[in-house]
Amino acid sequence: MTLYVGVALVTAAVLLFILYPIVKGQHASLEREDDELTDSEARKRLALLALRDVEYDFLSGKLDEEDYRSLKNDLTSEALAALEEDEAARESRGQGEHLDIEAEIALMRASLKGGLDCRECGFSNETGSLFCSSCGVSLSSPIAG
Amino acid sequence: MTLLGEFALWISLPVALWGMWLGYSGGRTQRGDLVLSAERSVYAVFGLLAIASAGIMAAFLQHQFQYLYVYSYSNAELEIFYKITGLWAGQRGSLLFWALLLGFFSVLAVFQNRSKNREFMPYVTGVLQTVMAFFICVLLFADVNPFERLDFTPANGQGLNPQLQNYWMVIHPPTLYLGFTAFTVPFAFAIASLLSGRLDARWIQLTRKWILTSWLFLSVGIVMGMRWAYLELGWGGYWFWDPVENASLLPWLTATAFLHSIQIQEHRGMLKMWNMSLVLMTFLLTIFATFLTRSGLIESVHSFAQELRIAYIFLGFMGSVLAACVVLILYRLPQLRSENQIESFISRESAFLFNNLILLGAAFAVMWGTMFPLISEGVTGQEISVGPPFFQRVNFPIGIALLTLVGIGPVIAWRRATRRNLQKNFATPVIVGALVAAVIWISGARHGLALTVWGISAFVLTVIATEFWKGTRARSRIEGEGYALAFFHLISRNRRRWGGYIVHVGIVIMFMAFAGAAYNVDERFHVEPGDRVDVASPLGHVYTLTYEGLSINLNNGDRNLLWQAIATVSIEKNGEPKGIRTTEKRQYTTNVGDPPMTEVGVRSTPFEDLYLILSALDDPQAAVRADSEAQGLDLQVLVKPLVGWIWFGCLTLVIGTLVALWPSVDGRRVAGAVPADAAPEPAAVGTT
Repeated sequence: MTLYVGVALVTAAVLLFILYPIVKGQHASLEREDDELTDSEARKRLALLALRDVEYDFLSGKLDEEDYRSLKNDLTSEALAALEEDEAARESRGQGEHLDIEAEIALMRASLKGGLDCRECGFSNETGSLFCSSCGVSLSSPIAG
Repeated sequence: MTLLGEFALWISLPVALWGMWLGYSGGRTQRGDLVLSAERSVYAVFGLLAIASAGIMAAFLQHQFQYLYVYSYSNAELEIFYKITGLWAGQRGSLLFWALLLGFFSVLAVFQNRSKNREFMPYVTGVLQTVMAFFICVLLFADVNPFERLDFTPANGQGLNPQLQNYWMVIHPPTLYLGFTAFTVPFAFAIASLLSGRLDARWIQLTRKWILTSWLFLSVGIVMGMRWAYLELGWGGYWFWDPVENASLLPWLTATAFLHSIQIQEHRGMLKMWNMSLVLMTFLLTIFATFLTRSGLIESVHSFAQELRIAYIFLGFMGSVLAACVVLILYRLPQLRSENQIESFISRESAFLFNNLILLGAAFAVMWGTMFPLISEGVTGQEISVGPPFFQRVNFPIGIALLTLVGIGPVIAWRRATRRNLQKNFATPVIVGALVAAVIWISGARHGLALTVWGISAFVLTVIATEFWKGTRARSRIEGEGYALAFFHLISRNRRRWGGYIVHVGIVIMFMAFAGAAYNVDERFHVEPGDRVDVASPLGHVYTLTYEGLSINLNNGDRNLLWQAIATVSIEKNGEPKGIRTTEKRQYTTNVGDPPMTEVGVRSTPFEDLYLILSALDDPQAAVRADSEAQGLDLQVLVKPLVGWIWFGCLTLVIGTLVALWPSVDGRRVAGAVPADAAPEPAAVGTT
């Protein structure tokens, strides 16, 4: 007897649980949510990741200076393109509320475009660099920039 | 309770099928109510399987021997601990346990994504419930129902195989199953990516942690199995290229390949198609491993099933999954094209590719060796067994190539590396490797293969240490931090990279341990009480072993022990006493017809294990009667250099994987929360 009660209870609970959304019209969301990376953001991220790899590889002596420069040039323009594309996509979506991210992008662009030229070797570094990525000289002296 | 459990298992099938159908159709029609119902079915199936598992456990605890499964794997005297773990002691129960774990991971995946990644979730739910429905079908219709009843109620059960009464054996199968079942989630996301048409690297980013977790469980499960074999099987080895060992190694090899190749997709947008194939292959291999273990097709110490029906069901499922995936991949082929090309032959990408090819080569070789007996039987009618020599001959060069790549990979730059830089970066590690090999050679070791492995290991460790050193030094200089703090920040800023390096260190340590087997000492003696024998260790010292005598226990203690003959051996190392070890023969009431089991005595030190085996009693009958004249026995003494490093290497691997798994700064960035001061990303990262 207890068995039948148990069986009936389990069956009823399962049926109620899985059929309820259909009967009551409860819907699960199927939309891509806002905080997820968009395609253009993903491309931006990939470009920045590549820049980071090149920077690290050069810093740890795995890349020749010549290769480093040419790679970095290519990747910087790729990254800039990705940033601009992302910005355009963002504007077209009308997401004005992401001010902090806008500011961040502006900063990134500034750092990618206008950098500190090294007074020793002339290499153009990102803003915020303390030392030259090429020759290692300190960039903080007044001549730099 | 048990009857309710049986009922729960039966209704879990329609519920799983319901979830499978609604998942796919809800995804296709984009109807949220169907999808919600499908997702709820995942929870429901898990609940039902939990009731079913509780039913089996209750049957064990209440001695319900009318259930064939309970009768076969326990008896009234069995310790309560082994009654609870009886759920996965045999084929029937462990298949239910498999389904239960799959249910658990499915619940976790659905719950984690209840409000994100919604575009994938209908299909993910559909795939998870498809696999689930398959396993429930196997349980119900392949003569492996754990609830099958006998026509009568036996007074007592047959008892549990004594070799399985070991805590390693209790946690080894669940650990492996966790690895196997967790991999279903990445597979489900991959298929969802194909079905939904969103084919960027998103599914990989979402499942990276699942893949790593599954890989971690697989690795630990495999090593636990080695540990069990080493301590319990009593032949002094830890790996015998047994079909089931191979079966668990196969998905590990492809999962390892996958872990590396997804980095190329993430960094370079290449190899989409390849990654799809790898995740599919790994998933199929986890099913294949379950199938090999549970079908009894191939002779193995692990197999306890002989039914062929289950074999056809498994083969049918694997065939359909393969066919469906191939169709899907072909359908999406245009979108799976690579976004980039490899720029140079000498680059990180090509190192990863080589790594993949080698791992797959190893997987293919192991697969071939495992299946060969079956194939040869099918073709020639004669079963030709392929022994360890085949696997060793094939896998030694593969292993060495792989080990070398572990050292080369980290030093090669992405995109293009130049010969000059390579020479500069490799000079010191190569010199260190050669020096280490030379020093070992001078100290008397002449085994070519072992020297090669140790030399390359030293090379790899130097490469990794240099990486850590360079990174720490750069960070310390630029940020003005002390070395300890710089080291800590270095790892925490890029856990994936450095965690991966730590895993590599663990793997290298294990390789060094495997090479130690070249210097195993194996000596056999016939001894009477009081006899002293000398065994020279390859490390230069001499063990003097004194056989102190035999003691007999009759009907004593738990675990269905009939008698137990314990040989006590005292150990001296270069004349210095190092304590005693015992080795035993045991006869259990549950296997009186079989030869007695052996318990080994092991003395572990950091550099070697002394391993004592009571091979045979001169006269077991007389010995059991405690006849003082019948204490002579055959003693096998093994000295096994570096064995302990396997367990230590595995621990390192676990630590490294946990570092890589830990929620990282990187992960938060992906979520979009970039701190303002980190804005000049490339410059800031240049410091890591």
